[in-house]
Amino acid sequence: MTFDQILLLGSIVIPALASLFLFAGLGRSEFIAKNLAYLGFGFPFIAGILLFIRFDGSAGGYCFEIFHPRMGLQELKITFHLGLNGVSSPLFAMAGVVGLAAGLTAIRSGTERLSLYLALLLFMQSGLMGLFASVDLFFYYLFHEFALIPTFIMIGLWGGRDRRSVALEITIYLTLGALLSLGGLVALNVMVDAEKFDFPSLSVALASADMLESTQFKIFGLLLLGFGVLVALFPFHTWAAKGYETAPTSVSMLHAGVLKKFGLYGLIQIAAPLLPDGALAWSPYLLWLALGNVLFVGFVTLAQTNLKSMVGYGSVMHMGYCFLGLGVCSSLGAGSAVMLMVAHGLSVALMFLLSNYIYKRSGTFEMNEMGGLATKAPILACFFVAASLATIGLPGFGNFWGEFGVFLSLGENPDHRVFLILAALGIIISAIFGLRAIAKIFFGKSSDELNEHAKEKSIIDLCPGEILPAGIILSALLLIGLWPRGISDRIDIEIGNRYEKVNFVALSQFTPACCLPGGEVENKENNQSSPNLLKKAAQFDANLDH
Amino acid sequence: MQTVAFSILLLPLFSAFITLIFLRRFGNIASLLSVATSGGILVFALYLIFNDAGEVYSWQATWMKMAGWELGFGFLIDGPARLLLFVVSFVGFLIHVFSLGYMADDDAKARYFGGLSIFMFSMIGITLADNLIMIFVFWELVGFSSYLLIAHYLTTEDAASASRKAFIVNRIGDFGFLIGIVLTYWAFGTVNLLELADLVDFDPSLVTTFLGLLLACGFIGKSAQFPLHVWLPDAMAGPTPVSALIHAATMVAAGIFLLVRIDFMFTEQVLSLLAILGAGMGLYAGFCALVQRDIKKILAYSTLSQLGYMAAAFGLGMPGLALFHLMTHAFFKALMFLGSGSVIHACHHEQDIFKYGGLRKNMPVTALTFLVGVFAISGVNFLSGYFSKDAILLSAYNLNMPIFVILYSGAILTALYMFRLYFITFEGIARSSEASRARENGALMTGPLIILAILAIFGGYHSLFPFSIVESIIPDIESVASMPNHLWMVFLGTFAWIVGVIVAKNFYGRVRETDPLSEKLPTFFELCKSKLFFDEIYSFYVSRIQDPFTRFLEVMELLFISGLMVRGTAGVAGLFALLGKVCYIGKIHAYTFWFVAGTIGFLAYAVGIFGN
Repeated sequence: MTFDQILLLGSIVIPALASLFLFAGLGRSEFIAKNLAYLGFGFPFIAGILLFIRFDGSAGGYCFEIFHPRMGLQELKITFHLGLNGVSSPLFAMAGVVGLAAGLTAIRSGTERLSLYLALLLFMQSGLMGLFASVDLFFYYLFHEFALIPTFIMIGLWGGRDRRSVALEITIYLTLGALLSLGGLVALNVMVDAEKFDFPSLSVALASADMLESTQFKIFGLLLLGFGVLVALFPFHTWAAKGYETAPTSVSMLHAGVLKKFGLYGLIQIAAPLLPDGALAWSPYLLWLALGNVLFVGFVTLAQTNLKSMVGYGSVMHMGYCFLGLGVCSSLGAGSAVMLMVAHGLSVALMFLLSNYIYKRSGTFEMNEMGGLATKAPILACFFVAASLATIGLPGFGNFWGEFGVFLSLGENPDHRVFLILAALGIIISAIFGLRAIAKIFFGKSSDELNEHAKEKSIIDLCPGEILPAGIILSALLLIGLWPRGISDRIDIEIGNRYEKVNFVALSQFTPACCLPGGEVENKENNQSSPNLLKKAAQFDANLDH
Repeated sequence: MQTVAFSILLLPLFSAFITLIFLRRFGNIASLLSVATSGGILVFALYLIFNDAGEVYSWQATWMKMAGWELGFGFLIDGPARLLLFVVSFVGFLIHVFSLGYMADDDAKARYFGGLSIFMFSMIGITLADNLIMIFVFWELVGFSSYLLIAHYLTTEDAASASRKAFIVNRIGDFGFLIGIVLTYWAFGTVNLLELADLVDFDPSLVTTFLGLLLACGFIGKSAQFPLHVWLPDAMAGPTPVSALIHAATMVAAGIFLLVRIDFMFTEQVLSLLAILGAGMGLYAGFCALVQRDIKKILAYSTLSQLGYMAAAFGLGMPGLALFHLMTHAFFKALMFLGSGSVIHACHHEQDIFKYGGLRKNMPVTALTFLVGVFAISGVNFLSGYFSKDAILLSAYNLNMPIFVILYSGAILTALYMFRLYFITFEGIARSSEASRARENGALMTGPLIILAILAIFGGYHSLFPFSIVESIIPDIESVASMPNHLWMVFLGTFAWIVGVIVAKNFYGRVRETDPLSEKLPTFFELCKSKLFFDEIYSFYVSRIQDPFTRFLEVMELLFISGLMVRGTAGVAGLFALLGKVCYIGKIHAYTFWFVAGTIGFLAYAVGIFGN
């Protein structure tokens, strides 16, 4: 085993082992429990970053592969196969970063039965790392369940208001979604006669035997519905805001930030490239539903006065952009959606974290009962302003690139331009609720309720232990924002490879103006004088050849 | 060259980071760092301007790549960029120095100067950017820094709401701009300014009115033109030097700069629309300025009106004149804003001009330099504003008579409201204890005033400037110079400001606590004061339409999605559970009955009674 493979396997096994030790009762001493948790969250973080740096994506395909055919069920073509590719590597690193931040927060939270809480969270972390590291689709699903089940327990035990009923609702909802997507995956396994149950083998098998469009339509529909429920696609989104509002902070961070990306990851990385006809057939419906996320949920977000539910609804709203990127059915859209997934995971986790910090100081999530916090906690204000602006897509933070790419991809096909215009309204909507939150919480004079609360417990600024997790996430967001190629290059290559064989009709419908027959003559003269334009024209031809 | 361009861009960013991380508690060091940074920017900018002057320099690297879309990070340093770079770095430096004095007693100096540095970074980014997407990136960032600085006095409700309003209204403009950029990319296959210009050159039919309108949305938002002008007067809630730098001299002028950069993208229709909008704003804002009491609001409306002049010049097909006026306006408007800052600082943050009076005796330098600014903006002969504004008026006279009439009425109005401001503030007797005890500020504040006053006097002689700065405005100036009716225009222009002075002197020479106009012409006064109800209409929309709509949707979601769909499904499942539960009544004979019934059913199926 090479160093990289140890890192990859370790990032799944070490949190799982730490969790098992805690379950086994080692966590009775708080010291051991905390140190096990540091190890269990620290290792995936370091491994995620190292593997991100050491990843060599120039050729595309999987790196650091671990393959054990004996582990798994060979009769069902299931094999144990780990590895990272250009799409999963940034998400894997993101899971490590958010995991560490959530873990540090949980360790400091001082909640009741801390050791059990940490054990469940570590178990979740192990599942999250495994999810993005799996090549085999069965294990991909299995790890997702590993991560999902602790969520229900943690909401039920440590949640806020109405935790029982919310836990019940979210359990039923998400289990149903998972079941549907499992159905889709099983259908893929059964209908495609591949050697192994992973993307490369499936795509090879599909290339030789064309699947009927109607079959593709059904399987993609099943996957879209199942994964859609898991990602809170409109109108299956009501569990999300409610669940995040109730869940303990670390759980909200991990679920909204990382786990929710499971469904989109499956759709973009597996379903759409394998079932292009299905994706195209569903595309119009998907685009309308995604627009529902952006506009309907966006407007509902505007009505929220509770900070945590605003953040929850806001996160659902922005997932709409990812779905739009997918619904466009082009590699530009899909690649930008992945960019947005990475940045969204970071920014949403940061928002939940900061909401918790605010709650600790104000004793409430009601934004109308706050005000003037900026003078009392300037560092917190600084973080919150940065996080809110990242969320609403200010350039300089990662989210901008993904959102912009999605808008750009929507402009490609003239049929999609109505979605471009409607979806771009989202940048105004999110600015309104983002800035309203900043103004209500931090600007102005502090409210009477807040003064009352401050009498009992004076309001202090963030301490270093609180700055650390928020700082880690914010730096990651800034890095992506300033140097998007750090993640976009590898995503581009992998998405390019996956979508290369896919003949999306959407692309061929479009002809850029300068390549139209009329414009061509002029373009030729043009080319002689300007090599740059020649390059552009060649690029367009290449685009058309897709 | 690219090293210099990079240093000029990254220097302020670096300074802002240092301030944010290390200097939050050390306001004095942070302010010195920021001023030193802006000095460094000025030095680099001058180097960049004088080094191979007159050439177009462009450089590009790939910033992001995705599926055939390649976004460049590049610099395009040509005539307009050099001009704006000069204005931004020079005026920016003076305002930084002024801020040292103005903000000396502020508690949050580090935040203020850090914000200024972020602003300088973003503004220079717009100046140097070589493609539309990069312009958009920095476009949003100047919006952010403006938000940050308007919210400087964050405990006041004004600052909290004004900063939000500025950002959101700008975002509405950016919404159209963003769509415009996306559609430009798909229509042309590039967003690089030079390549776009080449493409349009070869095939002018590629340009469409729709695309031009979308791109102009960016300008309308940033330069606060109709109907998105409402944010600028409110933005005066920020510190006065910020108003001078961002909301008068540079950021709002960036909208004009954008237009000039993509002037080939506009069809005749869009240009005429811009000319009409601009001229209309020139007049409308003049009327608004006439009845304001707040010294900064008067200057803000005056900025709106001058931006209208620039837009009108651009719409008339004279982008060089727009840039020329941008430059002279930056000098005299920054001068007047800083002058108002000097007054506000001396009068303990009193901003009502009717509480001033007689300040000329106490603050001679401020009064004199302010008067120079007033002369310049009113177009007094041979000062900077005379050259740039009368050039616009002359070209309007020769090209489009209706536009000229509107602009000319605006010019009279400008002289009127500006001299009103001057007479009420600096002449007569002091009308409050603050005003009577006001003292002239120190050299940190008067120094920049004097330098700007010199520029406001001589800034109109474009031949005094190095060629590389004024390169882009010369062609249009020459074409105006060859137009007829020069003498007639000189007469009209002189007439305009003299009328303004005389009316203002008679009307406002000896005011008391109330505005004489409100007594003499109450209806007209109230009409101007209402600003045609734009704010009321927008707040009606927000509170009566948008807010209820969002609450309605929330209820709909609760009722139909959460309620009917989710609970409904759960209810159906629950119903089956209830039905199932009926079977389990806990009595042995009932179970025996079910057992027998089941067995019979099974047997019946086995022998084929139900068919195959």
